[in-house]
Amino acid sequence: MERIGIVGYHQVRPELDLQMSPYECIFTAVRGALDHAGLKRKDITTVISATNDYYDGKTISNCFKVSAGGAYMKDESKVEMDGAHAAQYAMFRILSQNHKLAMVYGFSMPSCMPFECTRILELDPTFDRPISLMNSYSTCGMQMRAYMKKYGVSEEQIAEATATNWKNAAKNPLALQEAQKADMTAAEVLKSDYLASPLRELMYPLLGDGCTALILAPEKQALKITDNPVWITGVGNCQETYYFGERDLTTSLSMEKASEAAYKMAGVKPSDIDVAELFGYTACEDIILAESAGLAEKGKGDSLVAKGCLNPSGGATSGMTPCATGLNRIIEAVKQLKGEAEEHQVSGVKKAIASGQIGFCAQNNIIYVLEGGN
Amino acid sequence: MPLDLEKMEGDIFTSKGMVKAEFTFWVGLAMDKFYDGTTDQKFIGTKCSKCGKVFLPPRNRCGDCFAKAEEFVDLPGTATLKNFTITPWKITERRAKKGNKNALVGLVQVDGADSAFMTEILNTTEDKLEEGMKLKVVWAKRIKGHPQDIAGFEPVGGA
Repeated sequence: MERIGIVGYHQVRPELDLQMSPYECIFTAVRGALDHAGLKRKDITTVISATNDYYDGKTISNCFKVSAGGAYMKDESKVEMDGAHAAQYAMFRILSQNHKLAMVYGFSMPSCMPFECTRILELDPTFDRPISLMNSYSTCGMQMRAYMKKYGVSEEQIAEATATNWKNAAKNPLALQEAQKADMTAAEVLKSDYLASPLRELMYPLLGDGCTALILAPEKQALKITDNPVWITGVGNCQETYYFGERDLTTSLSMEKASEAAYKMAGVKPSDIDVAELFGYTACEDIILAESAGLAEKGKGDSLVAKGCLNPSGGATSGMTPCATGLNRIIEAVKQLKGEAEEHQVSGVKKAIASGQIGFCAQNNIIYVLEGGN
Repeated sequence: MPLDLEKMEGDIFTSKGMVKAEFTFWVGLAMDKFYDGTTDQKFIGTKCSKCGKVFLPPRNRCGDCFAKAEEFVDLPGTATLKNFTITPWKITERRAKKGNKNALVGLVQVDGADSAFMTEILNTTEDKLEEGMKLKVVWAKRIKGHPQDIAGFEPVGGA
């Protein structure tokens, strides 16, 4: 595959209740990404967004975002999944050789919609939805129970990894302010109420309003824009079954397949990866995804969090903006490769992975292999 | 994060509720048969024509084999608890609310089925729940060919 360069990006810092209209928020991210790359709107030929009609309270919600997203009179489309999926769509547009520069953005404002209720609308309307027992909390709780039981992992270990995520968020200047908990301890995590046992309130991320934009370019174009691009050298995605009761919750089969494909495309091995920014809802899910991506032995993934090479930004715990969280993971990996992550910089990062997901307990995963240097 | 629906009340433009249009979902032949079964207080699943996996609730195809699963199979009212969670949260498509009482939610695999579904575990207490425990179905008082015909499952032999 021809290398695709990430040449610019901008993340609006998420807030619990952002004092911007949706369109101001999107404009800030997209304008910011253009300025970051030193480009103009006219340079962009295709705009791909990740938003969700239910989150936006509008059907075909992208049609109202044309001017804010820089898409006026341009090739434009939308993915109703994670921003990381929109980035793949943008890659396709570039690899088709019809486009030189692609703008990707992911946006939502969970302060304006009942996010946990919209997840019920993901369920099978002929059975699971009327029963209304399956939701983010109950599924994450069962996933955690299954994982702990199979590998003899304790609640304390998960709480420790969770506390590290909150502490990492404190070092991330783009984390939600309320998620920056420099003094968090495992004991405090374990004192919080159950959302759905063994999952506790402090094990679930805070939701933040926000928008993240990313500019992709083919190799030749990327090198004209910057002498220091980060390259996408591999990508893979995989969809598991919807039927929750048939899934092995102790692992992520979709992440196994997706990462295999991405590594193969990039010609790398899991042992080559220096840092991982993965989108798990919980620290437990981060760990499961990292193990499934081959970074640690099954049941031992919490060591990656302790070592600091899994979600040094705090991951989704640093603030979860539905539709933008996967793009945030990509940006964080890019910063690590460029040595721009400041306080949460991991030293000597040459290769990184970043992932996005959609569905209960990451039914679908998409993963990127990213490499620096020109 | 717990939802603060109160806060949303104060917004200047609030569109009340989620989509209020009445959507109709044709359940399909397999689920139609399933709800015929629940009306008679029976479980009816389907079997994959290739790998032989049994699905409950039934579906007319096997995703793995991409083959038909149109053979109906009668299944018993007994089951195994595969996984569980205890939660004070009740979340529907209209609201999310933390209640005062916990619900015991189980992932239940009916004997002879290869799939499992979420349902309430009744007539027992939190400390008695254990993966692998044997359960039996509790039918609702009013049966109407609806998912809620299944009130939940309870331990075999009582709590």
